[in-house]
Amino acid sequence: MTIVDTSRQPASEMPFVIRFIKQVRRLPFSVGFGIAWLAAMVFVAFFADLVRPYGITAMDLRARLSLPGNPAHLLGTDELGRDVLSRLVQSIRVSLAIAFGATIISAVVGTTLGFLAAKFRGAVEHFVLVLADFQAALPFLIMSLAVLAFFGSSMPLLIGLMGFYGWERYARIARGLAISASAQGYAAAVVQLGATPTRVYMKHILPNVASTLIVSMTLTFPEIILMESGLSFLGLGVQPPESSLGNMVGFGREYLTRAPWIMLAPAFVIMMTTLSISLVGDWLRDKLDPTLR
Amino acid sequence: MLRFASIRLLRAMITILAVLTFAFVVLRMSGDPAQVMLGPDVPQESVDAFRKAWGLDQPLWIQYLAYIKAIFTGDFGVSMRDKASAMQLVIDRIPATLQLTIPALFLKVVIGIPAGVYAALHRQSAVDRGVILAAIFGFTIPSFVMGLLLVLIFSITLGLLPSGGQDTWQHGILPTLTMSIGGIGILARFSRSAMIEVMGQPYIRTASAKGMAWQDVVWRHALPNAAVPIVTIVGFMVGSLIAGAVVVETIFSWPGIGRLLVVSVTNRDLAVVQCILLMIAATMVVSNLIVDLLYGWLDPRLRAHSAH
Amino acid sequence: MIAPSANAALIEAKDLVRTYEVRQGMFGKATPVRAVDGINLTVMPGETLGVVGESGSGKSTLGRMLLGIDSPQEGETFFDGKPMPKLGTPEWRALRARMQLVYQDPLAALDRRLTVAEQIGEPLAIHKLVPKEHRAIRVAELMVSVGLRPDQADRYPHELSGGQRQRVVIARALASRPKLLVCDEPVSALDVSIQAQVVNMLRDLQEKNGIAMVFISHDLKVVRNMADRVAVMYLGRIVEEASSDVIFAAPLHPYTKALVSSVPVPGKPLKGRTILQGEPPNPANRPSGCAFHPRCPLATDICRTSVPHLRQVADGRTAACHLLAGADQPVAA
Repeated sequence: MTIVDTSRQPASEMPFVIRFIKQVRRLPFSVGFGIAWLAAMVFVAFFADLVRPYGITAMDLRARLSLPGNPAHLLGTDELGRDVLSRLVQSIRVSLAIAFGATIISAVVGTTLGFLAAKFRGAVEHFVLVLADFQAALPFLIMSLAVLAFFGSSMPLLIGLMGFYGWERYARIARGLAISASAQGYAAAVVQLGATPTRVYMKHILPNVASTLIVSMTLTFPEIILMESGLSFLGLGVQPPESSLGNMVGFGREYLTRAPWIMLAPAFVIMMTTLSISLVGDWLRDKLDPTLR
Repeated sequence: MLRFASIRLLRAMITILAVLTFAFVVLRMSGDPAQVMLGPDVPQESVDAFRKAWGLDQPLWIQYLAYIKAIFTGDFGVSMRDKASAMQLVIDRIPATLQLTIPALFLKVVIGIPAGVYAALHRQSAVDRGVILAAIFGFTIPSFVMGLLLVLIFSITLGLLPSGGQDTWQHGILPTLTMSIGGIGILARFSRSAMIEVMGQPYIRTASAKGMAWQDVVWRHALPNAAVPIVTIVGFMVGSLIAGAVVVETIFSWPGIGRLLVVSVTNRDLAVVQCILLMIAATMVVSNLIVDLLYGWLDPRLRAHSAH
Repeated sequence: MIAPSANAALIEAKDLVRTYEVRQGMFGKATPVRAVDGINLTVMPGETLGVVGESGSGKSTLGRMLLGIDSPQEGETFFDGKPMPKLGTPEWRALRARMQLVYQDPLAALDRRLTVAEQIGEPLAIHKLVPKEHRAIRVAELMVSVGLRPDQADRYPHELSGGQRQRVVIARALASRPKLLVCDEPVSALDVSIQAQVVNMLRDLQEKNGIAMVFISHDLKVVRNMADRVAVMYLGRIVEEASSDVIFAAPLHPYTKALVSSVPVPGKPLKGRTILQGEPPNPANRPSGCAFHPRCPLATDICRTSVPHLRQVADGRTAACHLLAGADQPVAA
């Protein structure tokens, strides 16, 4: 499974500052690989329009269901003769964009709720606790299915919905750190200087807890990718003609017998991406915040 | 213990109420229930009659109370699609889902926990490496990919097993495997780290320093203490028995609750979706509650506190 | 040094009481503990009041109540003749520019992610005292005034020594030109060799800027060096108060006597010193009568049953002890 796709490693292409290269050399192989893969994915997502050889709906009717390795269609084509590589590139962009947007929303919502619980305690804290219980009681996939059933699927709704994934993790961390910071120490000192609560939280507590929050994003991000691809696989996430990794797998399922490559290419990308984030995330966690689970 | 239990019970009830409210809000926000229930081609008089009959002309909070009352009297509404009781439709599907999820849970527990414990006691061994690798797969391969890969290998390439349907026991093998492989890895890794943590505790070193036989140290001291976190995650797996089946039942065309949910969602069959939602939430809440109580019972520290 | 009026107190505390609830275990019964139990005091502009006492005597709580960080359950604090606004209100926050606190542990009081300059300039930003473009100059001035080099402005707290950190905390406290500075054990976390430097610096700054100061410490040598007047606390109450020279030369209360005699004086033999007996005071279990009686070598029956009140015993000095002859009326607040 750890087949290194050397063509996708930008680290070997670009001459970076020597100190950076030295640091990279000290990384474990798996982490270096993870970083390289993620860098490639981000590159692909940003420059999808330049990278992909064809439009995602462009049909090559003479070359339907053509095998991978074909010079015109590196990863083959689907039933309608659409280039799998091009659709894959576009799917990477869509899936990463959704996961990234949702991770940010989840971090912001969770951190805000955690800070509010720390600041006001009492009723607010209990309210946050009830919300967390609710989230634990309804598996996220099920809740998403229900919401999408009633409101229909659209991109903003999907990102917003995914943004509720994992907020309780940030809330728990932010609340704990904020309480210990304001009980004594620097936050109390700044309050004593006359700072408003907003200033205390935004300028002092937030920067101090940021590294822990960023590390927990590496836990949420791959889970959101899996959640989104699961929903899209079931046909309730990203809607055609737009394409995401999950719905590519979903469509590929129809051609599993005749053209398994349609499904294998996005499945491989999902696996490698979540694997890379887990590897890099584990390593970051050890480096930055060993206290985190 | 009683105080602890009653606080948890109260929280469980509040959670159920929150889920009920969620279902109510989503249901009401998604459009006029009269239109949804009766369809678009019904004359205005019958819509009005329907609204009066169902109390939809009442203020929202009275509707809310009526809704809660209906739920507690077991009235979950009627399926839009085949006009049968939503509750009955859901209940009919439960056995099929359990046919997959209970063997899957059994596999996870019977393979995952011993593998994890063994790996913890034999660090750096082949089993240990295997557990770590399997856990990585468990975390990173989504079940729909796993399912399709298994179909590709065992049904399409090797032609050994059927790829969909529920006719014979062979039909159940691939879905059960899909559901359990990831979970085995996750549970193994979890048991491994729980066990490693316990083995590092001073009382284990004390016990072996006293000259206690290694087997006894493991069985009498290490395992009972490692059981606490393991029970938590197994409890979570029990709670998600139904929820976890959604994707797998879809892949293998298995007529269980998960598939019913996906179909109902696609058809916007609100009563059935709502019923499944509540049932899943109820199983989750109840199993979380049981885990919490079990936790209090397993962990002597919690017991000591609540004795006061 | 400009004192507005010789008779107007800068800060005045009237009958302050602060009670904490202490729980025995998780589900134990809560017992109220009176950390501060009816304290009256005044501090004039530019004056330094030393507050001494053992740990648990309530001196830190008193300091926090004088600043309004802790609100008293009974009694009231007046700053510049006006009652203290409620904690956390905009008025309360605005008042922070005029009264500041210096902490015991400077590392904990500083944000480890901000540079020295940012932290010293923070009061200026909060209270919008100096426009942004002139802030760096004011910060540099402050740094020089507390004995830091301006080139240390970009350092982080962990890159400084303990003494330097405390200088940063003091510079930050002085940034808004406060009229009152409460120093809660400001040097007890520092090396002995540094303590004198920081104390001398504080005294110079206080004299130069005419700041009133409440100097809380368990260390009598330091208080003697700093304070114009000294209040001695025991279990939440003031047991003796007098000018610094008088109290160290001729302590009246047996507790003060014990404290003063525990300070070694060069050239004096150790003989004849009063050594404190018994356990240090526990605020959760206050003895009857005079709280000091279990440890007092002179205690009589009345000490065990009746609480002595703070009385005027000589001009400008008060004490709370049954054994002291003096004017027999309680001191008016």
